[in-house]
Amino acid sequence: MEPLIDVNASPIECTSLSLNAPIWQDILAQAMTGEILAAMNYASLSEICDDPAEVADALEHAQGERGHATAFAAEGRKIGVDVANNVDAKHWKRLRESFLRCIAQRDFIACLIVQEIMLESFAVASYFRVGKVAPGTLGKTFLRIAAEEEDHVDHAMSILRAERARDAQRFDDKVYCLHLDVMTTLAQMLAKECKDGHCEVCHATCVKPALFDVSLSAAELRGASLQQYLKTLDMLGIPGEVTLSWVTQLPV
Amino acid sequence: MGHSATGVTTQPQSLDIGFALIGHQESWRAAADVIGFLRGPQHPPLPDDEIKDILPWIPPRTVCHVDVASTTGAQARGIYIDSFIPPDRLGAAYVHENIARVRKAAACAIKAGAKIVSLGGFSSVLIEGNFDHLPERHDTVFTTGNTLTVAFIVQAIKKMCALEGRDLRKSTLLIVGATGDVGSGCARCLAPLVKRVLLNARNLDRLRKLAVDLRCDERNDYEADRVQLEVATDLQQFSAPADIVICAASLPTPSLLLDCIASDATICDAGYPKNLSPSADMPEAKVFFGGLGQITGGMRFEPDFNGILNRHPFPNVVHGCLLEGMALALERRFEPFSQGRGFITKHRVDEIEKIAARHGIHLAPLYNTDGPLEYELPSVGVQHRAN
Repeated sequence: MEPLIDVNASPIECTSLSLNAPIWQDILAQAMTGEILAAMNYASLSEICDDPAEVADALEHAQGERGHATAFAAEGRKIGVDVANNVDAKHWKRLRESFLRCIAQRDFIACLIVQEIMLESFAVASYFRVGKVAPGTLGKTFLRIAAEEEDHVDHAMSILRAERARDAQRFDDKVYCLHLDVMTTLAQMLAKECKDGHCEVCHATCVKPALFDVSLSAAELRGASLQQYLKTLDMLGIPGEVTLSWVTQLPV
Repeated sequence: MGHSATGVTTQPQSLDIGFALIGHQESWRAAADVIGFLRGPQHPPLPDDEIKDILPWIPPRTVCHVDVASTTGAQARGIYIDSFIPPDRLGAAYVHENIARVRKAAACAIKAGAKIVSLGGFSSVLIEGNFDHLPERHDTVFTTGNTLTVAFIVQAIKKMCALEGRDLRKSTLLIVGATGDVGSGCARCLAPLVKRVLLNARNLDRLRKLAVDLRCDERNDYEADRVQLEVATDLQQFSAPADIVICAASLPTPSLLLDCIASDATICDAGYPKNLSPSADMPEAKVFFGGLGQITGGMRFEPDFNGILNRHPFPNVVHGCLLEGMALALERRFEPFSQGRGFITKHRVDEIEKIAARHGIHLAPLYNTDGPLEYELPSVGVQHRAN
């Protein structure tokens, strides 16, 4: 039988992990849901790619994201919790629907913008913050996955920069339209409090108020995610004054 | 500037970026106004706690374009870059974080192709002693802008003395923050004109060195009467009350309480953030904000941040440190006019004053927390917009 607590973890880690296991359970559930959604998105993307190399890339990414979801589930088992996931939870479902609209339009670039610029900014920033405070292998897993997500953002950036070079205004308009749709959902999801009811991923009450117990806060995760998003848009070459107004107009 | 169907403008204008202004907001109220403007009237204002949570995460970036016009007809285009230093994180505990922010803001200016960059408020304090902190520059030069700030403080002191009928030559001048770049520049310019100078700062060794430098300047100026100089880290230690005060300390919050000064003193608060504590009780003193200039040729923000980024009761008023970069851009003199700490001389102040005046940049009308000083009413007629 697999031990409930990692035998390699220090006694302090074991205590803090078991005490805060319900909090880590919800954090892992959000992360796992995000990874499964990403895997579904890449699988959908593979269906609209014409180039066999792009198809292979998308399927490889989908496989990678499934691996991340498995890793998060394994971390849950180490601390004795069952990590659920729910891609039909209200925010995640809307994010998936936004992505599927891009698929329906066979808009490869829009798909990359949604997945790599918006959703991955949120994942990379959040995972790094969680990875810094989570003890033992839990923290290491979050940091490793954050680094892997960052790698494929880099890959997408070169494609997107080339696309922007062709027609900057058209590209920026597209990003803005997607921003209004996807980032509005993400901003609601990242709000300091879930004002519109239960997110349908946390196993009991909303985890956000309890994040302080594991040296995190909803405000910090939101701030870091928006910062990462702005930096990613900067790297694309979209003027900073434009993206600044985009971000300040998001709901809180 | 081209507008897209979504109302989002991303195409840069063809005009070169002559100057960049790097700044930060001095209060949460000012920061909230900037965020509120960016959100636009169609979105409800963010609650203060949300602004305090979000602002520290915003990376330094361009906020708007700035066009200035000279009275000679010359024009210059620039950008305002906010370093988004949170107003309550200006203290020493955040110095490394804030230097990193100024560096990133500087990188934005360089990337935008600005030929000259002015450093406003704490941005210059953080960098003035060490320009090596800035990224590799290529064709971009940096100026703290402190020489023009000193010029406007000195002009304002002279103007107030004339208006109040105060004889500068019989006055005792106190400079708080005397060893800073602005404070020491003011000391060099005004010491030969007053009876006694009281130099106050936190570091006694630096104060003594400044006093020695002023004595040295005095020996080179045969026309100057011998000024009485005192240095002290504590205002209570001075032998006489000051009747003219310049507050030029780098305080993270307005916390200065002036005691031991003449009850009817003339006080120039030249700090950014302001130095004087709101609780300072000096009913007879004449307090005004110093270091401000006005662009009579006009200034325009795009988007129109007028009244938000320049929160003054008169139009086209800007801090001297930022105006220095604008003046040099209008003059097409792209050089690091003010660098380091303690190098501002009367000669350099005269020089930048002439450059600024040539382009219609003059001392701004004087005002304080209560509004314009009575001498300045009604306000002067100036052109509000660049053509």
